[in-house]
Amino acid sequence: MTDCIDLDVRPILRAGNEPFSAIMAALAQLAPGQGLRLYAPFKPVPLFAVMAEKGFAYAERELDRGEWEVLFTPEARPASSAPPPAQPFDDWPEPKITLDNRDLDPPEPMVKILGAAEQLGPGETLSALLCREPVFLFPQLEKRGFRWLGGFTPDGSTYELTVRAPA
Amino acid sequence: MAAGFGFPSADLASPDTLVLVHMVSIGWLSTAMCGALLQFVPVLVSRPLFAENWALPALVLLTAGLIALLCGFLALGGHLPLWLWLLPLGACLLIAGFGLIAADVVLTVQSAKSLDASARFVLVGMASLCVTVALGATFASQLAGYGGAAIDSVLESGVPLHAIAGLGGWLTLTAMGVSYRLLAMFMLSPDVDERQSRVTLFVGALTLCVAVVGGLVAIEAASGLGAVLLWAGVFGLATIALYGRDVIELYRKRKRRQLELNTQMAAYGFLSLLVAAVLGAVLAATGSFAPYAGAFAFLIAFGWLSGLVLAKLHKIVAFLTWLEAYGPVMGRAPMPRVQELVVEARAKKWFGAYFAAVWVATALLLAGEGTLFRVAALAMAVATGGIIHEFVRTRRLTDVAEPLRLPNGVTEPCLLHAR
Repeated sequence: MTDCIDLDVRPILRAGNEPFSAIMAALAQLAPGQGLRLYAPFKPVPLFAVMAEKGFAYAERELDRGEWEVLFTPEARPASSAPPPAQPFDDWPEPKITLDNRDLDPPEPMVKILGAAEQLGPGETLSALLCREPVFLFPQLEKRGFRWLGGFTPDGSTYELTVRAPA
Repeated sequence: MAAGFGFPSADLASPDTLVLVHMVSIGWLSTAMCGALLQFVPVLVSRPLFAENWALPALVLLTAGLIALLCGFLALGGHLPLWLWLLPLGACLLIAGFGLIAADVVLTVQSAKSLDASARFVLVGMASLCVTVALGATFASQLAGYGGAAIDSVLESGVPLHAIAGLGGWLTLTAMGVSYRLLAMFMLSPDVDERQSRVTLFVGALTLCVAVVGGLVAIEAASGLGAVLLWAGVFGLATIALYGRDVIELYRKRKRRQLELNTQMAAYGFLSLLVAAVLGAVLAATGSFAPYAGAFAFLIAFGWLSGLVLAKLHKIVAFLTWLEAYGPVMGRAPMPRVQELVVEARAKKWFGAYFAAVWVATALLLAGEGTLFRVAALAMAVATGGIIHEFVRTRRLTDVAEPLRLPNGVTEPCLLHAR
């Protein structure tokens, strides 16, 4: 059984705050070979790719009421052979830009977010509130080398998205 | 139809009518619906398509299968040498083509953790597609002389089941399911309450079960299809009523007050479905459904299904073209809005002409005016051509004003496929 640290980000999200710094602080505390068990109110899909890049495998399990438990375990070998220079996920800065796109007609939110993303300096972040998961935005972000993390608030009414510019 | 080929000039069950019916139901409606599903199911379930690269082989198989099937019907009608083996050949190719699509869709949906209303409708639609194809393939081999006496009776009286499973199950239930999500997206409406849409789907699925399972049992028992079709009709009406309630709610609770052309025109499609339901009920109540079955099916195929598909394409073509062309420069350069890729006022005239022609044509079929019907069918063809021309202009970005049309880094999209 892998030794691991437990981290529950559900209260953080419920309080309307960003969980990144907590996740990253926990990651920084991990001893070599130690894993991270994360509890989240939604399946943190975007985090999987980020964690894979950092050399963590994951196993997810759905709990009641759509909540998830994800166990991240360090892989024996470095995950990617040609990584973009290790982008420490633990220093995602406070958002430089915050957008509330909940009242905009699609596809305006996507245009606004990409427009704002272009204003970011290397490694800076923006955060945005939306009323739907921006499924058409993700491929555009990916093409431009941006990373993102997002999910619905527990009541399902607002989608919170944080985007980080490539360093 | 404008040239007088097939129904109503020929009998509803004639080989020429079969050519027409399958050209419309497979060549147009089913192919459009398959394309829509491949694009849309990943959005419904937030999962990538199980196999992106099955689409082209499926299209090739469906096209080849349809051509073989149509040639088989033409042979049956005496327009070609009597190559009846074309019918089962076409059926096999269609089974392969629809099988690929169905497998792709079902495997994609299956990978999702939770299913919403639309996805459930799509699954029932897929089951109906399989039933439709299985019945059709049975008929095809039978017409080619490979059937035995046991299934002769299925061909004799089972054609309505094939039509109900195809038009009612596969095409209508799938269109209903997809419309829940599309209407919510395009009008910014809250999703229909899950329990409510589940009841609609349950009654819809029940309609099909009654029609197909009950129908096959009735054929086996040689007891006639009358009672089964009556019950299926009652459940079918209930399905349409429940669906109508859901759609009205989507329109009423919308946040986008100004309706766009696609949702305005979709409303004419819904209206056609409603009129078809009332027409069917009245015909059945007066015991005269059989002679007017053609007019009823015509309104379902062209007013409801084709009307809805064309209306939704007006938005979807514009949005996907916009995303494809301007996605790379979004936020980096000034660019047009999605609405600037279309000219709604001009398209509206073509859509208006299309629906008017369909409704007039239906009335003429009911009145038995075969010659005038051909004029209305010609008007439908012209209006459809006009609508297609609008789609081509959208793909080519023709209506986007300079200098926004092609900013640096934007190339004109290909007409028929995305780069």
